[in-house]
Amino acid sequence: MVDLVWFQLLSAILFVIGLYGVMARRSAVLIIMSIELMLNAVNINLIAAASHMEGTGKFSDFDGQLIAIFIITVAAAEVGLALAIILRMFKNRSTVNVDEINLMKW
Amino acid sequence: MSPLSDNLDLLTPEFAMAGLAFLVFALDLFLPEGRKNLLAFVSMAGLAVLIVLSLVMLWDEDKSLYDGLLAVDSFSLFFKVFFMGLGIAIILTSMDFVENRLKHQGEFYGLLLFSILGMNVMAQSRELLTAYIALELLSFSLYVMVSYTKNSDKTNESALKYILVGAVSSAILLYGVSMVYSTLGVTKFDEIAEGLAIVSDVSPALWVGVGLILVGMMFKVSAVPFHMWAPDVYEGAPYPVTAYLAIGSKAAAFALILRLASEGFVPATERWEQWQVVFAVLAAATMLLGNLVALGQKNLKRLLAYSSVGHVGFILAGVTALSANSDLASNGVMFYLVGYSVTNLVVFAALISFFNMTGREMMSDLGGLADHQPFLAACLGMGLFSLAGLPIFVGFTMKFYLFTAVADQGYLWLAGLAIFSSLIGLYYYLNVIRYIYIEPALTGENGEDLLEEYPALTKRPSFTLITVLGTGSAAMIWLGVYPKPLIDAIESASRAIVF
Repeated sequence: MVDLVWFQLLSAILFVIGLYGVMARRSAVLIIMSIELMLNAVNINLIAAASHMEGTGKFSDFDGQLIAIFIITVAAAEVGLALAIILRMFKNRSTVNVDEINLMKW
Repeated sequence: MSPLSDNLDLLTPEFAMAGLAFLVFALDLFLPEGRKNLLAFVSMAGLAVLIVLSLVMLWDEDKSLYDGLLAVDSFSLFFKVFFMGLGIAIILTSMDFVENRLKHQGEFYGLLLFSILGMNVMAQSRELLTAYIALELLSFSLYVMVSYTKNSDKTNESALKYILVGAVSSAILLYGVSMVYSTLGVTKFDEIAEGLAIVSDVSPALWVGVGLILVGMMFKVSAVPFHMWAPDVYEGAPYPVTAYLAIGSKAAAFALILRLASEGFVPATERWEQWQVVFAVLAAATMLLGNLVALGQKNLKRLLAYSSVGHVGFILAGVTALSANSDLASNGVMFYLVGYSVTNLVVFAALISFFNMTGREMMSDLGGLADHQPFLAACLGMGLFSLAGLPIFVGFTMKFYLFTAVADQGYLWLAGLAIFSSLIGLYYYLNVIRYIYIEPALTGENGEDLLEEYPALTKRPSFTLITVLGTGSAAMIWLGVYPKPLIDAIESASRAIVF
């Protein structure tokens, strides 16, 4: 079986890529996609941990998988909301570039 | 019966609350335009019934549900009643605004009820996933409420900023949860405390996990350096929603932090001493920066946003002082939350009723308010004095109690810094009062009189707002002079989590 550390490393890399995307992307839609990447990094971490420690008595039942399922559900709702807000933004301002969304500062 | 389904009846208030929210949504479909005001009364009556129901059903209860995921104790009860009372006050405050300036009134009250449900579950949860789901129920309702005036550019912008920052902070929080889970294998608060206490050398993964959970929570309460979203969101959101953000969501997040810290971190004494330093630094930075940046603000909503950042710093100082053998700090934090909410409610109610009359939100617009709206001016003045922490109002008593608790735990420098930043705060609160009482009435851009432009300024504020202002001001003075009954309730609540 592949060591847990590798899964944690994979998840950390994915998470950091997502975080970088949030900061570097200028389109609101792409930022949402980067956030999805971060959430999926979390899911990998949880599922790997849960399946790795199964049977050692340390980890109870299916907590990790359960949390992952909840996260997928909540993330779907979050994207729905965010896209609705972005759509509204596009209708009013004809842009979703976060650099141009700067009415309020400081 | 399995431990999973024990005591389910204790959740009756929560189920009833969800039912009430759906009822409001459903009623909205049948009510003709112009009668939607009824929904506000239905929501308020429902909340009042739920408060009584919770008090009768859950008084002196100390049980846990779903195998320890939710706690039904006096701490939960205290915050439940507090949040539902706050809900009634917010509905009263927003009724006029919603009726005259917002579309889709029914959904507004329904979402408000859902967010209160989320807050209630947050105060009860003693497990990370449960806490997260409750937090998201609150946040999602707030995302929609913030974007309510959907054709305003400013609102769009603040909604977009809010949801992006909120989503990122949730992701960070969740990554922390996953790291804690993969190192300790548990997600319940008390088991986290046990895990933290036994591990001899804390692995970097665990540090990262707990740290990221904290970062996520600090985003939600807008502590420095994670506060940048708050002023923008506050400025763009519809006024009552700004009030709700400043009061409700903060109080709920701190209820969760209190339980997480005192059940999950404090019992692992050695680790907690290390974390206290982190909290102390965050608190110091937050109170200083919040109050300093507020000095330069011209927009009232932004001013109150930065002032709320400053207050978050004070409350964080209280969280720093949590300890396993004294309940002073958690009493102080809870008292501060109640006092701050009441005070802020009065300030926001006064500003909302001014906004209803004129549609203006700059500080200079308040010029001459005392001449044509003496009652409004008096309430606003008292609220600002209380926020600044001057005696006989609750603002003084709560600060005194909290800072004493902080100093009592040996954080003298933090208490001193808190007093210093309160003094900074005094300047900008008094500045607003100067506009209300001393500055002459503002003339419009072309020299016309404001009174002619806004004839509503000579009329009385609406009945609902007068109710909030009157009871709020009375509560402010009462809690400032005689806080004993409240402190008694708070003490029994904090015994449930501290000892």
